[in-house]
Amino acid sequence: MTSFLTRIGGTVRSLVVLTGGMFLLLMKILRSFVPMACDSRETWRAFYKVGVKGFPIVVLTALFTGAIMVLQSGHYVARTGATSLLGWAAGFAVFAEIGPILIGLMFSGRVGANNTAELGTMVVTEQVDALRSLAIEPTAYLVAPRFLAMTLMLFLLTAMGDLFALVGGAATAKVMLDVPVGIFFQQVVDAQLLDEYWLGLLKGMVFGMSIAVVSCYFGLRASGGAAGVGRAVNASVVAAAISIFVTDYVVALLWGAM
Amino acid sequence: MIDVRHLSISYEGSPVLTDMTFRVAKGTILGVVGAGGVGKSVLLKLLCGLIQPDDGDVQIDGLSIRGLDDDALADLRRRMGMLFQNYALFDFMTVGENVAFPLEQAREDSPQDIQAKVSERLSEVGLPGIERMYPRELSGGMKKRVSLARATIAGANILLYDDPAAGLDPVTSSKIFSLIRRLHSSEGVSVVVSHDIDRMVGVCDEWLVLHQGRIWFMGDVHAVRASNDPVIATLFDTQPQEAVR
Repeated sequence: MTSFLTRIGGTVRSLVVLTGGMFLLLMKILRSFVPMACDSRETWRAFYKVGVKGFPIVVLTALFTGAIMVLQSGHYVARTGATSLLGWAAGFAVFAEIGPILIGLMFSGRVGANNTAELGTMVVTEQVDALRSLAIEPTAYLVAPRFLAMTLMLFLLTAMGDLFALVGGAATAKVMLDVPVGIFFQQVVDAQLLDEYWLGLLKGMVFGMSIAVVSCYFGLRASGGAAGVGRAVNASVVAAAISIFVTDYVVALLWGAM
Repeated sequence: MIDVRHLSISYEGSPVLTDMTFRVAKGTILGVVGAGGVGKSVLLKLLCGLIQPDDGDVQIDGLSIRGLDDDALADLRRRMGMLFQNYALFDFMTVGENVAFPLEQAREDSPQDIQAKVSERLSEVGLPGIERMYPRELSGGMKKRVSLARATIAGANILLYDDPAAGLDPVTSSKIFSLIRRLHSSEGVSVVVSHDIDRMVGVCDEWLVLHQGRIWFMGDVHAVRASNDPVIATLFDTQPQEAVR
């Protein structure tokens, strides 16, 4: 019984340390924006890397997400003949929920994991110590630009992802149900899904923030050489996925209460 | 200039350095020697404020590192240069960008002046014209010399060298130590951690021997020569007679 309680206590303590550490990192990041202390070259590099690395995976994910939504609903639509609902169903599912979550998860696996590996390698090869020895604050120089890039780029990538999801959905609707592409897009417009669209973009931005904080946190805490970097990447991907679902729940809750 | 008082640090309950007290006067090159894993690199990081001690204090010109906030610590570090054991070159930057980095961050020189200084310093370490290469394209010895160039280019008067000759051939190693001597300012302090005692002898003014996490000995080369201590004899035994001559 005592060992069970000790284990529970240890787990709770680890969780508190983890979330507390991430919160403190977030505060340090935000503090480095007032006044703006980000290095312009490093910020540009972060935007370029996040955008370039994230774009293909987001496009691919979005195309298939839209296609799957239509594929799933296609059987029922064909059976009932309610093809006019196809655009609405695809748009509703993609914009508000499935799109941002799947794009966030893929982005976390591609960009977040890469970010943790890069920072972790810098830590174990003493590059972060070298920065500090040169009087450069690593949070402002390395973390803040990545936070900015991931937040804004995931917002933009989600916006683009929504478009590609509709393209995927429209193509599948045409092939499977012979619904003309123009009609499919007209259905999406007629469904008046602007609220869902904005909710999805907001989620994308919040997911970008959480992936940035989680991936930077685990990267900066890596230790123990190459094996330690591997462990940090693993922990980062799992924690980022959890953070996506938690923040999705919180954002949806707050949005519903507004 | 560097005043270390009762410095202690431990990792996960195991003491690494215990109750270290010593002073390094202006104009001195201090050689720190000891067996592997005795805490020499940890001592350098403590001097630079990269890690905080459990007990004790490091004072630089009377300024305690422990009590400094981030900005004050950054000001102090601008007077320091550190060469890391594993080079610690920024792998996303070219060699030229790495060496120029301290000058660019100081924002005191024009881009043309920075470029000229970088070329000059790279020539001094025997690597002219490699500005556009990336660290991954260099050998270990070249990385070490680039790292030395970066550590010293801003004219810091407190220079900390963590194993500057590790992995270098004897000729390059000698060049590195000559450079350390030449870059040393009479108004500054240099601390050199190395196992290459043979080459350190011609460079270091004072010696600090670490053993079992404590200061075992501190003195000049004559005191080293006069000592009959078995630990010192063992450490200097690789080339004992040449080393202390």
